[in-house]
Amino acid sequence: MEPIQLPEWTALGPALLLAATAIALFVVDSISPRSTNRNVLAGIATTGSLAALGVAVWFSMAGVGATGVDGFGVIELFDGQFVVDQLALYFMIIVAVVTALVVVASYDYMAGHTYQAEYYSLVLLAATGMATMAAANSLVTIFIALELASLPSYALVSILKDNRGSVEAGLKYFLVGALSSAIFLYGISLVYGATGYLQLGNIASVIEAGDAAAYDGLLGLGILFLIGGIAFKTASVPFHFWAPEAYEGAPAPISAFLSSASKAAGFVIAFRVFTEAFPLEATAGVIGIDWTVAFVALAIVTMTVGNFAAATQDNVKRMLAYSSIGHAGYALIGLAGLSADGGELVMGAAMMHLLVYGFMNTGAFLFVALAEHWGVGRTFEDYNGLGRRAPVACFALAIFMFSLAGIPPLGGFWSKYFLFSSALEAGLLVVAAALVINSALSLYYYSRLVKAVWIEDPVLERDALTQPTGLYAAIVVAAVMTVVLLPGFGPVVDTALEAAAAIV
Amino acid sequence: MTVAIEYYVLLSMGLFCIGLFGVLTRRNALMFLMSVELLLNAANINLIAFAFYHGNLTGQVFALFAMALAAAEVAVGLGIILVLYRNFRDVDVTVPTTMRW
Repeated sequence: MEPIQLPEWTALGPALLLAATAIALFVVDSISPRSTNRNVLAGIATTGSLAALGVAVWFSMAGVGATGVDGFGVIELFDGQFVVDQLALYFMIIVAVVTALVVVASYDYMAGHTYQAEYYSLVLLAATGMATMAAANSLVTIFIALELASLPSYALVSILKDNRGSVEAGLKYFLVGALSSAIFLYGISLVYGATGYLQLGNIASVIEAGDAAAYDGLLGLGILFLIGGIAFKTASVPFHFWAPEAYEGAPAPISAFLSSASKAAGFVIAFRVFTEAFPLEATAGVIGIDWTVAFVALAIVTMTVGNFAAATQDNVKRMLAYSSIGHAGYALIGLAGLSADGGELVMGAAMMHLLVYGFMNTGAFLFVALAEHWGVGRTFEDYNGLGRRAPVACFALAIFMFSLAGIPPLGGFWSKYFLFSSALEAGLLVVAAALVINSALSLYYYSRLVKAVWIEDPVLERDALTQPTGLYAAIVVAAVMTVVLLPGFGPVVDTALEAAAAIV
Repeated sequence: MTVAIEYYVLLSMGLFCIGLFGVLTRRNALMFLMSVELLLNAANINLIAFAFYHGNLTGQVFALFAMALAAAEVAVGLGIILVLYRNFRDVDVTVPTTMRW
């Protein structure tokens, strides 16, 4: 036992710290509305997100939410509306890491922008929503947290108000987002109609008791609609159409933020809702079909669509956007494999992939941010020969690309390897085969970018490139973490498996 | 005399289908927003009717939250439509096509 017992609500500390940081930024903004003092604003945002990260790691290490002998047990707050377990803390760590990287990189990228304080506070508010999604344990809190993450994201994507691409991206993101959140809400109302509860545990006990058997149609339709809402948030087929546009048009750090943190947050609600509220066999008994079938299909279609579309792109940012859809397909395997006995292995592997992805994908998008900062252009040809001018950043880019493709010594290989072997163990031969084929295909377009940067000659000679501190720092940290996760993968595996075991 | 729950569900499903039709066919961004409101309110009807049916207040309280969120969503949406108009001189959602597959 600790000498000082913290009150229970502090278990939500990471989310609360992010919210407090956003409010602190508002206070600064209201004291000096025209301030564009990036040092103060980015400093506050960085401190806040690093503090949230620190607290989340500390809680996770200290065993908050762990069920073992030395753990503190799962903490339920507000009558079980929130639950802080290892799963929640794991995803809070991912969100906080990505937020910190994005905020540091934005210091240079958003230089000269008029609305500095608004930008940072929106980022922190969206991060608050994502961290809350990780701990939400009722369809009410899940929906509110989801909107808290979505609404600032719409504004962030279109924050470059005079840039046609940014506004168009924001519009498309908003249109698809509004539609899918309405569908999600309708799904919630149908599930509520079938069971009479909104809290995940209660829904499960009603279904298990067989009280929902008379409402099989309502429940089945409700689950289908919930899958739709989750597919939007994780940028999976069939709600993936916003992703290429939103990622291409948005400021690159925001693309990094959305494609890593927002996707991870979408997956945490998917994991929690489907394992806690809809127990497999009982639900299959009511609606007549196993919901993992839907996720098997979605996983295969999503990874194939993402990777094939990425292979045809000329625009680097758009290629990364489609590759992000492909990676959503890989992570969906975590839900597809739940039916078998090795359920927590598959889900743990998906969670490892999301953590590694948080570093390598954020890093890749931040390299695009760096390229936009230099103003070198958007296509593969424009990137030709950058390796000679900026070797450090381009070396980091090579690490990200090879890790995304899953080349052995890097973090991305290990998480894909675990996904592959656990999918095989769960008997998902087709999914495992799709994973291998898609990974092989993805190597083509990832190595194409590395080739452009290192081997090709530049189309026209360019002057020496600047070295913006914030962007460089964020990229180097992401690259180092992508590599360091290799020897440090043991603890990650343990934490992810423990987190998955908490809900399976 | 109370109305049977089936009629409420039919009403909300009808409203949902009208909203979905609007979302899929309207080109004006403002009409799109109105259609989304229909979708959200269809869900609210369901929540309130089911709260009455099940005899607990959870659904009614959640409907209040949903209304507040819908208002927030419209506020953000109108802001985006405003900058859309400033940049493209139109609120037709099929006009902005600077990015394609």
